[in-house]
Formats: sequence, structure tokens, C-alpha cells
Amino acid sequence: MSRRRAVRSGGPLELPSTTRRGFLGGGAAVLAAALAACGRTSPVSSSVSSSGGTASSPGARGSLSIGAIPDQDPQVLQRLYGTVADSMSTALDLDVAYQPVTDYGAAVSLFRTGDLDLVWFGGLTGVQARLQTPGAEPIAQRDIDADFHSVFVVNTATGLAPSDDLTPLAPLRFSYGSETSTSGRLMPAWFLQQQGVDPQGFPGGPGFSGSHDATLALVAAGTYQAGVLNEQVWTSRAADGSVDPAVVRYARTPGYHDYHWLLGPGATDRLGEDLGDRLTGYFTGLPAGNDVLELFGAASFVATEAGNYDQIEEIGRQLGLVS
Amino acid sequence: MEVRFGGAAALTGIDLTVAAGERVAVIGPSGAGKSTLLALANGSVAPTAGTVQVLGAVPAALRGRALRQLRSRVGTVHQHLELVGQLRVVHNVNAGRLSSWSAGRAAWSLLRPQGVPEVLDALGAVGLADRVFERTDRLSGGQRQRVAVARLLVQRPELVLADEPASALDPVLTDRVLELLAGLVTEGGGGMVASLHDPALALRHCTRVVGLVAGRVVLDAPASALTLADLAGVYGARR
Amino acid sequence: MTTVLPAPVAVPALQRVRARWAWGLGAVAVLAWSLVGAKLLSGNVVNPAGSAQFGRFASAALSPALDRPFLGVLASSVLITVAYAALGAALAVALGALGAVAVARTTWGRRRLGWALSRGVLAVPRGLHEAVWGLLLVNLLGLDPWVGVLAIGIPYGAVTAKVFADLVDEVPRGGQEALLATGVGRLPAALYGLLPPASGGLLAYSFYRLECAIRSAVVLGLIGAGGLGYQLSLSFSALRWDEVWSAVYALSALCVLAVVAGRAVRRRLAAPRSSADRLRRDPALTAAVLVTLAGVAWSWWYLAVSPATLVSDRTGQQLAYVLRAAWPPDTDGPFLREVGTAAVDTVQMSVIAIALATVGAVLLAGVAASPAGRVSLPRRLAGIAVRLALLVLRAVPPPVWALVLLFVLLPGVLPGALALGVYTLGVLGRLAAEATEELDPRPRDALAALGARPVAGWLYGVLPAATGPVLAFALYRWEVAIRDTVLVGLLGAGGLGALLASRLARFDWGAVTTVLVALVLLTVAVDLVSARARAALR
Repeated sequence: MSRRRAVRSGGPLELPSTTRRGFLGGGAAVLAAALAACGRTSPVSSSVSSSGGTASSPGARGSLSIGAIPDQDPQVLQRLYGTVADSMSTALDLDVAYQPVTDYGAAVSLFRTGDLDLVWFGGLTGVQARLQTPGAEPIAQRDIDADFHSVFVVNTATGLAPSDDLTPLAPLRFSYGSETSTSGRLMPAWFLQQQGVDPQGFPGGPGFSGSHDATLALVAAGTYQAGVLNEQVWTSRAADGSVDPAVVRYARTPGYHDYHWLLGPGATDRLGEDLGDRLTGYFTGLPAGNDVLELFGAASFVATEAGNYDQIEEIGRQLGLVS
Repeated sequence: MEVRFGGAAALTGIDLTVAAGERVAVIGPSGAGKSTLLALANGSVAPTAGTVQVLGAVPAALRGRALRQLRSRVGTVHQHLELVGQLRVVHNVNAGRLSSWSAGRAAWSLLRPQGVPEVLDALGAVGLADRVFERTDRLSGGQRQRVAVARLLVQRPELVLADEPASALDPVLTDRVLELLAGLVTEGGGGMVASLHDPALALRHCTRVVGLVAGRVVLDAPASALTLADLAGVYGARR
Repeated sequence: MTTVLPAPVAVPALQRVRARWAWGLGAVAVLAWSLVGAKLLSGNVVNPAGSAQFGRFASAALSPALDRPFLGVLASSVLITVAYAALGAALAVALGALGAVAVARTTWGRRRLGWALSRGVLAVPRGLHEAVWGLLLVNLLGLDPWVGVLAIGIPYGAVTAKVFADLVDEVPRGGQEALLATGVGRLPAALYGLLPPASGGLLAYSFYRLECAIRSAVVLGLIGAGGLGYQLSLSFSALRWDEVWSAVYALSALCVLAVVAGRAVRRRLAAPRSSADRLRRDPALTAAVLVTLAGVAWSWWYLAVSPATLVSDRTGQQLAYVLRAAWPPDTDGPFLREVGTAAVDTVQMSVIAIALATVGAVLLAGVAASPAGRVSLPRRLAGIAVRLALLVLRAVPPPVWALVLLFVLLPGVLPGALALGVYTLGVLGRLAAEATEELDPRPRDALAALGARPVAGWLYGVLPAATGPVLAFALYRWEVAIRDTVLVGLLGAGGLGALLASRLARFDWGAVTTVLVALVLLTVAVDLVSARARAALR
């Protein structure tokens, strides 16, 4: 009773010790975590590499951070990236860290900032990255990338029969794929322009579905009457029978150069002038049927050079996508 | 009959019958169980043991329409008034007849007030006719108490339950409000149970006085047989 | 006995509140204008042929991907998302608490200019969506966990500062003034007179922010910050709906945890289990504080956040690079006209979205609110079903809604607006349900006690009291919807979001600056309008 009165009348107030200890403990935990963090690798900034090493660890071996945003089944590669990192790591005696990236724009920026050393870019994004990153060099492409194609598809309700004439597409609701896709946007837009169709002039403006599969689904739904996508994706979807019968192939574009591995100048500075050649050698030397080739949907990798993408750069400038 | 909230008994061993025409005052110190007794009578609280009969029916045994019909015959002035502050006074008074209105009429009345003359009569009786379209939360405590009474006048219940119906009113208005409630009882042919703090009011306006202390009945007698001193004893009988 | 009553007075006429009617009519006019803009009243907007594609999305909800490897991937992703959300929300609450002091009316008193300026400063971080912050920060910090933490913390911090300031400002002044009058200093007076009445609201809002942060962490994953959103985006781009739904369910589970924890703490605070005679802290609340602290510490460790990155030379260089590229903004005539058109689309999209969400929320709030006391089993089940449905509506990210709605609608403003609408309905429905739960139940009980039928009880006892808070929430979410249009701008839906995406794709930083300025201005304008509308509602 007397103690109660003491509290009520403003006497010395006993804080329960558990609470005080609790807060101190919490504070200590924060501090400890801050210290511990210094020696830890973030699960988001540096994925598990083959040897468990990190991009910044001062190990004997050099390290390389790579990234890729494939067009087809990205989830398969992104979730099996260990295969690629392991294979490269063994062949090149490097710590290879695979960085998860889903956005082309982000990949270009990360390549510029040096967070990514080696990136699997599309034709257009490769050009953008190279222009923003002096000293970057393309080192390899797939066999199919030297002669890549897009296909225009239409909904059967349009009644259009396959043809090389693109002008009947002009009055249709039309969707591209991703905004910076070479095969889903840039080259088809150029071929449309070549035949006198305004690539931005479709009724209501063209759509940007975001991915090749989304283009297929939207054309199947009839939301867009026509669309364009990467031939590799079309062929593979047609082969496994997952294409809705409401979508048919309308036209195939002429060939052009597309995807390639682009190496940044930072890695060359760090790991030696011959890094580009070693990487080219690694990619072109992958034996047929190798898991990495499988993941990238290729029979083999071949060497490439910056000149192969001059046409893309020029078209990009014309269409305002490269500045 | 018994009511328990959690572990504590709010009322125990209560056995009361209110006859037609009777006006019962319930008096007793704060926390004695007066509000609980009224809540039992309007069916919003069910007894843990025993039964409650209201106007010949057992509320706990009724559901849906039958329960609503019974409830429409019982009018309550709640201690905290339970008015909707965001509504205009007219709607809060009209709420007294929601039981007899269709949902459509109830909705329409919110846009274009229905039955305004009756509302004005009721408000006039409590001296508030000039505030009919005021928002209820702009009124003073005493004014809101009179709105709650006006709601009852519009409802015309047979049984009147009033929990401190005049606690915020001046003596003149207090007498006026209790007379109005008594008038409802005469007109409806039912009874009234009112909890009152002021023993003098109990003797002046009621026919019977029940004293509650700590959930038990300690006094139950006709008002005519009691004096103010008898009632003061109820407040003194603390344990 | 004679009773003296006031002499009979003239009965006043029923007068409508002009301001409110003006706002109401204005709202209807703006909605009609938006619907016309979305071509809803002219021509066909529905594409029934796409129902099969929509059906694939919908039916996959019942058969989510459950294979072991994928669940493993999801489990580790959940950890990343939780870590981002915890750190982001913690940063937001910290920034918000500091910022609230800077922008509260209480601080500025009668110095209105200073108050207005400080509020204006907040509009910049607030006007940009988390995803936009993420994209900008990637350019400064590269692949660093700070990107995700700051992208949530900065805009949320600004919003939190504003809301905290409003909560403190709306506390009745009496207690604090009484203390000041007895010569107590400003700080102790605030601690004793202002904070205690505001604390419930502050805490509830902090937990609400945590749930929002989880959803934002997922949106950031869409742009590459890792976690659940990253997996969701991968599966989404290949239209693997079964995997998308698994990710959505994982996200829903996280949101449920945040909601349940928040509600438990809120209820405990409202009705503390304290003993009157001994000073003792509620063990549940103490545990909540400790778990929160431990969670933040773990997140810091797990993401390996290092403060050094923020002040490194490289960050400075990249900042200089971006600023050089972004200045001056693109101001040539045709482009500004394009921005103007897009801004109109954005406003129309947000208006349709918020109208849909508000109507839906008002209709569902009654069912979604968990009623106090005993209720029948069907009623309880209906409540749970509606609450879960609302949860899923907000767990599916707006870009996914935009694509699946585009299957059944023709391209234009409408699919984007509806995508935003159903997503906002998920959020607003929850807020409205909570507002309904917190209403005083007694007026409604009193109506039930006098025999009113349930519909009438709702009309007279709940609706009048709930309208104010729900409309206030809706007006507040309107500003959020403006920012969210950025997420659904692609796919031909248009608006500033589409414009922003196209300029980002070209790395045309000058134009990006212009679009961002337009977005901020639009947010400020909507904020001003909604503040006035809310004032008229009070």
C-alpha cells in the first residue's frame, strides 16, 4: 500500500528491469548486426557464386560479375544461373558471380556503373550500353544471332493470309514486345517503316506488351489484332504446341544481328588485357550439347565484333531509341 | 435471475415484475447494476441464468422479424444517448420509427426527410423544434438528451426504459421530460422503468421504487409509502 | 404544475451544406469527364474473345505451382522481401518521425509560410513512386541493397511525415495547453499532452506502412531488386500463371502476418492489460517492440547493408553523371504538349480507379469488417472470404492486373484505370473495413434495440459515421493512385507512366526530368484539391 502511494504521488518510480534490459538488448543487437554486416555478402547484390567467393573478397583469383536477361523462358536461366557461373568459373579460373537483373534499362545502367562486367545484351541494349560505357567490347554471340529474325503474327479473326507485304497491318491494333527489345520492337519497326507503314501510327498507338509471350497472349485474345515477336520464341512455342490456334504467323523479317555478350572495361583493367580473348575462347569452345548452350537455346557461340551492330545503332538513331 | 460479465456478477437473485401502468424508479449507487437491468429488459443483454419476459415474450427466444416487432414496442433512452452525431436531428428522431419503415423509405428519408410534422411535434414537446435540421453533434449534452426523448415520442413504445433520462437537464426540463415519458406510459398502456439518481424525482414521478446495491435488490416498495430518508438509506448501504 | 417552455419558434428550412454539394457535383463531373476520356461512353471497350486468356490466369489461382525447387526459390525470396520491407519501413518511420516535427502545424504555430514551404519540400520525395526511386537509385548506387531500402524509405518517409504530422495536429489541444499554461516546457508538454493521445494512430499507421512496404518491396523486385517480386516478374514475363499465383500467395501470407500483428498491437494498445496498482508493461507489447527491433537488426545483417556505400566516391561520381545528363530538362514545345496529354490521361485513369475503389470499398466494408460480439457462422465466413479477396486484389501487382484485364478489354486508358482500381480497392476496402470496425457500435445497437431492420440500422447507424473517414481515405489514396499510374502506363494504357518508360528506354534523361517534374506537380495539385475536399467533408 505504501509503495503504491509513493508511485501515485510522484515518488521514485521503479522501471521494470526486464524492459530496460530488453531495450538495451535490442540496441546491442542492432549494433552487432551493423558490425556483422561488414563481413557479409548481400543476397541481392552478389549471388552465390560457384566457389562461394565474393566480388570484393581479396582472394587469389579474380572475380567477374555477370548478368543476363534472356528473351525466352527467363525464369529457367535465372533460376539455374549456377550452371553458367560454375562452368565459367572452372574454365577461366575466376570467381564468377551471377547477378539477377530483370530490367534492360537497369542492366545498361549497371554495366555503365561497373556493377556488371559481362552482360548478355540484346542488339539495341548492347549498343546503348556500349555508347554509355567507353571501352566495352562485344565478345561472343550465338550461331543464330548472326542471322536473327522476327515474325509478325495476326489473330485469325483478321482473315489475313501470310504475306511479305506489311501494309495490311497498318489499320490493325498492333503490339510490340518490350520497348527496348531488338527483335520485338526495333527491327520490326524499321522493316515496317521500309514498307511505308508508320511504326508508331497504329490506331490508338502501338502497345508494348513487355514480353514475347505476352505479345502472343494478347494477339490470341484479340486485344491486339497483330503483333511481332522473336522468331526463336515463336518456333519454340509452336513446337511445344502452346500457341493458341487463334494466332497465325503472317510474315518473317529479313535477318539481322541480335544478342551478344558485352564485356566492360573495368574487368579488362582488373583481370588483364587478354580477358576478352579468353572469354571468346571459352564461349566458342563450349562443346555441342553443353548445359550452358542448352540454357541459351544455342547450338554454339561464335565470335562477334562491334561492327556487326552498326546497322542497329543507325536504326536506333533514326527511331529515336539511341541518342 | 443472474447476469455475469466475465467473472463478475453484475446482477444476482433479481426477481422483478412490472405491471401495466406502473412507473418504476430504479435507484442505487454508481455501479449497482441499474444500466444492466435496463439492458436486460430491452433484450440487448441476455441473462446467464433465469429468464426475462418482456410484454409477454421472451426476447432471448426470438429471432429476426418477431424479435424486431417486440423491440419496436420497447423504447429506450440510453445513458450515453447513442445518437449518431453525423446525422441531422430530424434523422435521429425518425430513427425511432425505423422498425415500421421499409428499407427504401429509410434510405430516401436520408435524402429528403420524411414525416417532418410528427418530428416537429416531438421536438416541440421538448423545446427543440428550432434545431430540427441541425447536425446532432453540434448540440449540447442536454439538447441531445432531449433529442433522445423525442425519438421515443415518435416511436410510441408500450414499455419505456430510461437510463438517467434527465441527467443533463435543468429542473424545469427534467420534470417536463419525465411527464412526457409518463404520458407515453398512459397512452401505450405499458409501463416504465427509469434509473434515476435523484431520489426526489423518483418519489415525484414514479409509482414504485426499486433500490439496487451491488447487483441485489435491497428495496422494493410503492413510492407513496417511502420518504426521502428511506431512499437515502440505499445510498448509505455500501458494503 | 406549469411548465415554462420557450415560445414557439419558426421552424427553420432544411438547408443543404453548399460546399459539400459543390464538391459532390464537381466529383461527379470529373468522373464523367474521365469516363468519356476512357471511351467508356462511346464505342466498344470490351473484348470478349480474350476471356479464355483471362480464364487461364484465373484458373491458375486454384492450381499454383507447388513443385519443391520452385517453393525453395520462393522461400529464400521471401526472406529478401521481408528484409527490404522491414528496413524500408523502419527507415520510413524514423524519417517520418523526424519529418513530422518539421512539418506539423504544432511546430510552426501561426507561421503559415514556413509551414507551407516545409510541406512543399515533402512533395518531391512523395510525388515519385517507389519504382521510380528504385530506377533512379540503381543509377547512383548500382547493385546495392541500399537501392531497395532507400526506394521504400524515402517516399514512405515523406508520406509518413505528413500523416504523423496530421495525426499529431488533429489531437485535441486541451491537455497540451493546460500543461503549457502551468509553465511546462514545449517538449515535455508535447510528450505528456500530445503524444499519448496520438500514439495509437501513430502505431497503427506504422504497421500499415509495414504492410505497404512488403507490397512495395515486391514492386521493386519487378525492376530487379530481388526477392519475391523478382521471381514474380520472371514468371510473369513468361506468363507462367501457376508460378505467379504461388508468388502472390506467398506475398498474401506476408501481408496477413503484417495485418494481424498490427491489429493485435493496436487492440492491445486500445485496451491495455495493466494492473491498476502496479506499474507493469504489457508483455505482449514489450515482445512486439523487441521482435520489431530484432527484425530490423536481422534485415540489416541479412542484406549486408553498409553505410559506407552511401558516401563512397563512386556514388558521388554517378550522381554527377546523372545530374549532368538530367539537366536541363527537355522543354521543347511538342514534347511539353505530349506531357500535357499524358498528364490528362493520368488524371482520368486515377479518377476512374479511385471511383471504382471507393464504391467497392463502401459496399464491401460492412461485410469485411469483423463484427464485435457473437455473429452467425455464415456471416463470419462471408467476412473472411471478403477480407481474403481484398487481400488478393492488392497482392497481385498492378502491372499483372493491367495485362490480364487487357485480355478482356480493348487497349486504352480503361484497362490501366481498372487495373489500378481493383488494386486500390484491395487497399481501400481494408482501410474502410477498419474504419467501420472502429466506429462506436452503440448507436447501431440502439437502433437494433428499437427494432430497426439491419439495412436501416446500417443506413442510420453506420453509414453517416463511416462516410467521413472512408471518403478521407479515398481522397488520400487518389494521390497515391496518381503515382501508381506509373506502374500501369505501358501496354498502350498511356499516361505519364508510358511516357516515362519510353524516355527511360532511350536514356533521354532530360525528358525523364520533365516527366518527373510533371508527376510531382500533379501530385501536389491532387494533394491540394483532396485536402480542400476533406476539409469540406468535416
